[in-house]
Amino acid sequence: MRRRSLLAASAATLPLLLATAGCRSSDLFAGPDPLGGRPPLPHDTVVLEAAITAEAGLISLYKSAISDIGHRGRGLTPLLAQHEEHLIQLRARLVVPAGASASESSSGSSSPSASVSAPAAGGRPAGPSAGSSAGSSGGPSAGAAGRDPVAGLRAAERESAATLVRRLATVQPALAQLLASIAASDATHVTALSSL
Amino acid sequence: MSPGRVSALQAALAAEHAAIYGYGAAGAHLTGSSRAAAAQYWTGHRQARDALTTMIAALRATPVAALAFYDLPFAVHDTATAKALAARLEDDVTAAYLTIVAVSDQRLRTFGAMAMQAAAGRAAYWRGSTQAFPGLPPTPSH
Repeated sequence: MRRRSLLAASAATLPLLLATAGCRSSDLFAGPDPLGGRPPLPHDTVVLEAAITAEAGLISLYKSAISDIGHRGRGLTPLLAQHEEHLIQLRARLVVPAGASASESSSGSSSPSASVSAPAAGGRPAGPSAGSSAGSSGGPSAGAAGRDPVAGLRAAERESAATLVRRLATVQPALAQLLASIAASDATHVTALSSL
Repeated sequence: MSPGRVSALQAALAAEHAAIYGYGAAGAHLTGSSRAAAAQYWTGHRQARDALTTMIAALRATPVAALAFYDLPFAVHDTATAKALAARLEDDVTAAYLTIVAVSDQRLRTFGAMAMQAAAGRAAYWRGSTQAFPGLPPTPSH
């Protein structure tokens, strides 16, 4: 009985002791603040999620274009396969810390196990101007397809390459290199699409 | 771990030196539009070499010099092997600029990424097809 009273008294007086000592509970107990909500996602994770969403958008554009233009769309298949490879690699890098949750948008529109059904070799670039790349901001959108699906894809690829280059500036070196490589691939797609 | 700016730029410069040499060997076996493209790209590599040399000197380092002779990865004796060599040279240049993308300097990263796009485009021209991951080493998952 006496021991129980002492324990109760200790529990009751601990906050008072902490307060008089100028301490907060968070100073004593490491770890996430249970009242602080979900911790913010690391910057690289945010960038990866955006890249995954954009890549999934490109894949959707390609699938739409292939179904729209029929026979002519066969030339798009190798490029679509490369985008599916991009998506697999981007998703493989996505590590969401415990306590945080990846946004639903990063799940994209393609399955995580998107398979590559065509050979890795891609489309046929047109000529010496291959590789030039410029673009505006933002990710690919269905509206970019316009009336000519291939022209829309070209614009979306150009936009994707430019956006990835902007994104790679602030991430860890290994992720920057992956984004740069994907951007380079997208830039070559611009030229390849010109020959379709 | 980010590579140093100077070592990354030196790697790109060394690749540009090799490309300039290699295009000389490839160009001798090309004709018509392929030869014109090789000449255009050779000029571009010389300009890139000069730009990198200036950048390295600005960092108070001595730019790596070109070798007198480079071992070609395979014998070049016709149009097909000449185009294959040109593609290989551009692959090597792309990979070298990938090193620059890993430095902490954001402007240099952008410079390296844009140079990768140009080199990957030239490689695709010679190869006749695009790649999913230009510049990255091939892995089972790539």
